[in-house]
Amino acid sequence: MKKGLIILMLGLVAAAATYGCIYFVCSSSARNMQASERPELTWLRDEFKLTDAEFKRVSDLHAAYLPQCRERCVQIDQQSVQLQKLLAVSTNVTPEIERSLAETSRLRAECQAMMLRHFFQVSQAMPQDQGRRYLAWVKEKAFAPNFDMPEK
Amino acid sequence: MKPDDRGNQDESLRKVLQEWRSDAPLPPHFREAVWHRIERGQAPASLSLWTLARHWIGGLLPRPALAVAYMATLIAIGGAAGWTQARQETTRVRDELGDRYVRVLNPYQAPRR
Repeated sequence: MKKGLIILMLGLVAAAATYGCIYFVCSSSARNMQASERPELTWLRDEFKLTDAEFKRVSDLHAAYLPQCRERCVQIDQQSVQLQKLLAVSTNVTPEIERSLAETSRLRAECQAMMLRHFFQVSQAMPQDQGRRYLAWVKEKAFAPNFDMPEK
Repeated sequence: MKPDDRGNQDESLRKVLQEWRSDAPLPPHFREAVWHRIERGQAPASLSLWTLARHWIGGLLPRPALAVAYMATLIAIGGAAGWTQARQETTRVRDELGDRYVRVLNPYQAPRR
């Protein structure tokens, strides 16, 4: 009985140890990505198999794009506040509201054009087949019908 | 021992047994008690789960072939579970980072300070 119990426990310990080792080894790439300085760019490099030179070009484009994106964020927020103020005091669609809505649409179109330009630039910095794959993926992600809905 | 010798011994034993008489009184219900004990010895033991487990752990598991098969099976199960879990976790992290990449670039989704 004692020998059987020892074998039983050994089996369970071996199973748990194998589980832990395999899990640790197989999930190490994901952990490394998350722990990196810019996880989303590390993911991009891994997903589209970029070389060091390609990754540097993509990173430079990314870094150059972010300030423009932040500037648009400020404009969008300001425009949103202005529209909310107008809507709060109006019971009809006034010319000011129409102008504000038009400005909102213009901003959105500009943002989309700016993003699309960036996506094309990034795709051109990648090898041709990976660039095509990147474009197909990013267009679907960013221009899906609910693309401007913040994720819950 | 030769077969003839054994035959002679059996014969003499049979004679002794035939001549043997005991005057000691038997305890009450001796015959019923003997039959009861025989029946109890022949009845199959109740097979509870614990009994089966004990029999398996104490009797069968220590057999080398079974022990090796048992260890190999558990190690395979542990490995497969670890691999599946890691795969799910990696897929989840990759999807999350892909979404994050797009959110960072999209002014309508970018996290506000």
